[in-house]
Amino acid sequence: MIELHRVWKVFSVGPVKVPALSDISFRVAKGECVTLHGASGAGKTTLLRLLYREELPTEGDIEVLGCDVPALRVREVAALRRSIGVVFQDAKLLPGRTVYENVAFVLRVLGTPRREITPRVFDALRRVGLSARAQAYPAQLSQGEAQRAALARAIARKPLLLLADEPTGSLDESMAGEVIDIIKDIWARGTTVLFATHQARLAAALHQRTLHLLSGRLVKDEG
Amino acid sequence: MLGFLIGEALRDLHRAGRVAVAAILLTTLSLAALGGFWLVSTNVGQAAEQWRDRVRITVFLKQEPSAAETDELVDRVQAMPGVAAVRYVSKSEALGTLKEVLGKDASVAEQLPTNPLPASLEVMLNEQGATPEGARGLITRLSELPETDEVSGGMDWVDRLARGRRLLDVIGLGIGAVLAVAAILTVTTATTLVLHLRRQELEIMRLVGAPELVVRLPLLLQGMLQGLLGAVMAIWLLIAVYALAGPHLEPLVNQTLGLERLTFLKPHTVVGLMLAGTMLGGFGGWLARGRTAP
Repeated sequence: MIELHRVWKVFSVGPVKVPALSDISFRVAKGECVTLHGASGAGKTTLLRLLYREELPTEGDIEVLGCDVPALRVREVAALRRSIGVVFQDAKLLPGRTVYENVAFVLRVLGTPRREITPRVFDALRRVGLSARAQAYPAQLSQGEAQRAALARAIARKPLLLLADEPTGSLDESMAGEVIDIIKDIWARGTTVLFATHQARLAAALHQRTLHLLSGRLVKDEG
Repeated sequence: MLGFLIGEALRDLHRAGRVAVAAILLTTLSLAALGGFWLVSTNVGQAAEQWRDRVRITVFLKQEPSAAETDELVDRVQAMPGVAAVRYVSKSEALGTLKEVLGKDASVAEQLPTNPLPASLEVMLNEQGATPEGARGLITRLSELPETDEVSGGMDWVDRLARGRRLLDVIGLGIGAVLAVAAILTVTTATTLVLHLRRQELEIMRLVGAPELVVRLPLLLQGMLQGLLGAVMAIWLLIAVYALAGPHLEPLVNQTLGLERLTFLKPHTVVGLMLAGTMLGGFGGWLARGRTAP
């Protein structure tokens, strides 16, 4: 499902080279749920961005869903991303659209037949417990609800792989717990999950394999 | 999917607000200027065509030929390219015409000891001869005839009318082009503004792997819609000006150019203006496309 071999990512800041990731290698099998744990600046976001080809590695091989990611052409990147759901700490909901429209929007741009859109949107909203908030605008949602709406948008497309970049980063404990439960549910239904967090307690809450990043290096692979 | 894309384009148009309105108005102005000059040019062209049919070239002869020589000369001129018909006017016929023109003063002509008027040929032109180049060539050939004393008439003022028409076309195209560039830039600005407003949507679209066509087509459609709306408004503006000013201008045009009625643009010209507007807007939208790059 995911395989990284000796991956380096170095950013250039003028003449200074700043390594964000150093010699990272690991594999994630299909159906696994893996937590990526590390402090802020450890390289979690950079690693996830490499997986959906928002960044290119400086060195090393990356394979996701059978694709040689760095070698992909623009059109192939779009095809890869159709199989990947991504959620972020800031939810990235479109402010001018309701929760329903936010979820429906991605289905529409991907050419989902019109008759399938409403049932799939409501199925996704039901799974994250937001059916009653379908007509609310993002500004009317709590942070936890916004994050659940973002998860609904990601799972409505039925992705094979879910990449979650600190989705609980700005949530209180109870809201974070709700999001973790939803991610567990998504994983239980067969989606491979890579969940990035800086909170050790949440990493432990998933009771799954955890990759520990420290200053861009993979220091421990446990579970 | 097409319905979704058109819906997004309309939504973008609404979001662009005043900039989109400015783009539509500039497109209207540029196409109205182009269409207006086209309208004037068409009518001037019609007058030139009408007058070209009435053009005569007169060949004054050195001396009056005999009847046999006349037939042979008429046949030679008739065979020249650009000639539709030739009529021989004898010295006595010319004097008779002069008397008719003088009317009650015709007796003056009778006082002359001899008839001073030369015999001549009146040459009517066909389509080939009624062009500036054709008429010039024919005048040269007629001047070279051994019997010719002088050649008069021709296409001078028809040429001037044709040149005036060409000048109108150039001015119309020039003003239209300047306004069209302004319209394209405004459409590009409106589309870029929408891109800025849509940056979050575009980011989401790219993240979920939306095809490039879906990302960019609404921008192109938005530009095309602005252009089409501008063209429709320009045509309505021209129709209104034609309907209001036409009846007042017709007597003047009749006296100066000899045209009985002013004519509006032909249907294919109207369709051409609408296509031009749509393409102009589409081009503006297409120019903004590069700014969708991640």
